[in-house]
Amino acid sequence: MVRVMVVDDHPIWREGVARDLAERGVDVVATAPDGAAAVRIARAVRPDVVLMDLQLPELSGAEATAQVRAALPDTQVLVLSASTEHGDVLGAVRAGATGYLTKSAAMGELVDAVMRTAEGQAVFSPGLAGLVLGEYRRRETEAPDEPQLTPRETEVLRLVAKGLTARAIAARLTLSHRTVENHVQNSLRKLQLTNRVELTRYAIERGLDADE
Amino acid sequence: MTTADVSPRARAHPHLVPLWRGLVVYRVVALVAAVVNLVRFGGGWERPLLGLVVVAAMAVWTLVSSLRYLRFGDPATACADLVVTALATASTLLVDSPEHIAQGGPVITTVWSAGPVLALAVALGWRGGLVGSVVTVAVLFGVRRIVDGDLLFDAQLLVVAGLAVGLAADTMRRSVEQLRAAAALEAATAERERLARDIHDGVLQVLALVRRRGDELARTDGTAPAVELARLAGEQEVALRRLITSAPVPGPDGTVDLSSRLAGVVPAHASLAVPAEPVLLPAAVVDELAAVVREGAGNAAAHAGPGAGLWVLVEDDPQGVTVSLRDDGVGIPDGRLEQAASEGHLGVAGSMRGRVDALGGTITLHTAPGEGTEWEIVVPRAGTRSRRRTWSA
Repeated sequence: MVRVMVVDDHPIWREGVARDLAERGVDVVATAPDGAAAVRIARAVRPDVVLMDLQLPELSGAEATAQVRAALPDTQVLVLSASTEHGDVLGAVRAGATGYLTKSAAMGELVDAVMRTAEGQAVFSPGLAGLVLGEYRRRETEAPDEPQLTPRETEVLRLVAKGLTARAIAARLTLSHRTVENHVQNSLRKLQLTNRVELTRYAIERGLDADE
Repeated sequence: MTTADVSPRARAHPHLVPLWRGLVVYRVVALVAAVVNLVRFGGGWERPLLGLVVVAAMAVWTLVSSLRYLRFGDPATACADLVVTALATASTLLVDSPEHIAQGGPVITTVWSAGPVLALAVALGWRGGLVGSVVTVAVLFGVRRIVDGDLLFDAQLLVVAGLAVGLAADTMRRSVEQLRAAAALEAATAERERLARDIHDGVLQVLALVRRRGDELARTDGTAPAVELARLAGEQEVALRRLITSAPVPGPDGTVDLSSRLAGVVPAHASLAVPAEPVLLPAAVVDELAAVVREGAGNAAAHAGPGAGLWVLVEDDPQGVTVSLRDDGVGIPDGRLEQAASEGHLGVAGSMRGRVDALGGTITLHTAPGEGTEWEIVVPRAGTRSRRRTWSA
């Protein structure tokens, strides 16, 4: 059974999601109301998947993601957020989250996403694909030394962003379903490669802004 | 451009008050010069007593008009000043003998006559200064009746002073307006961010929850109202989230962020995928692209069939901006668009194409029966690359 931890600062939402997941056979091993607690509790209970909100008190979702991933390499992070800030989402993905769902996602979608995340698959919404594409475009001009997308990966991401399912993409590009999944995952992995440098920079920026 | 307040009871433009103060100081000093002139040359005048009366009247008018300038700073007082000063200057003809005037004797008002030129310049900008100086020079010429070096020198000084002070007043007014607009924009942005936080913390969470609970209810007892409720709550959540992020972000040089603009155009059930950074394009281009997307989305809603999804993707390249619009509906049969065009219906496709052509871009359509429709619009970036904001969380 997949062991999940739910992190959200809104009690109604947190308990609601935890209950819904439990009813569908997901083992909710813990919940946390803020980023710092999330890191602490995750270290103790070692969940398979952390369901992470982004706008959290104490420690932001992106920072908590980075710390969870650094301490527990086998724990996957799935972002579930109503966040309106694109930078936050991208920050969480670069910090090591492997998927992103908005809170408007249906319950079935969420459970499916949790299962796929536990298996190590990327959970890509069209919106996230758009953000990731944009991030690589920025790199092309501003950081050409960092890993770039291959033409094939770009092609796949564009189709994800246009709402095609992995199956439809496979059919259109005459690839196997598995290959499409690999391309999607690689595009995320390459974003996270520069993690340590990025994280330091990120932590410094956030640290400087913390008094606001 | 002058934006003078013509209401006589209006308060002086607060930022012009320093200029009015300067004018009042000038008028008092100039009045002293007129008194000195009276003391030195008054004895030689034809009607010294009348001269004394005129200078006394000038003193009274200096007091009255100065008070009005400081309180109201209105063009009406400046115009009255011009008339009073012209009359005072003209009275030289009665006070002094024509021979003495012709020999180059100073007019009774001396440099005091420049007061209304400066007043008009402050009140009405460079045009006021120009009109005031021309009228004052005309009156001086009317008194002296000869064009000599003195008159030309006075004329030069008056015109230059009127224009310079007028331009200064215009610049002050304009920069104050710009400052005010910037402050208003900042206040509006801060307020929007505050609202966004509140909405995010409250309404959005609840709407998302209603959506989830509705789904739940629909699954357990399969009631149609629950399904409807869940769908409506979900759509409103997305719509609200977009609303609080869609206030157009103004960029440098009159550019606007295409992404936040499209967020207000794309229907709530549709997906909108954009880069994290603003996609800055000239406002007119953004308007046209928004119109194209609106037409495409409307067309999809009308023809794609029930339950069809809609996805919009915005990509920002150094060469251009690409907007893709895809639905997974019934698609358009081969030749249907050409047929419509040949029948004289320009239709949505024609209109979209026209707009994109006008922007110097390209628009392509991929469609087949059962495969939905997919528009791809590419608009070149004119000249320079957009200034990118470095990413930060």
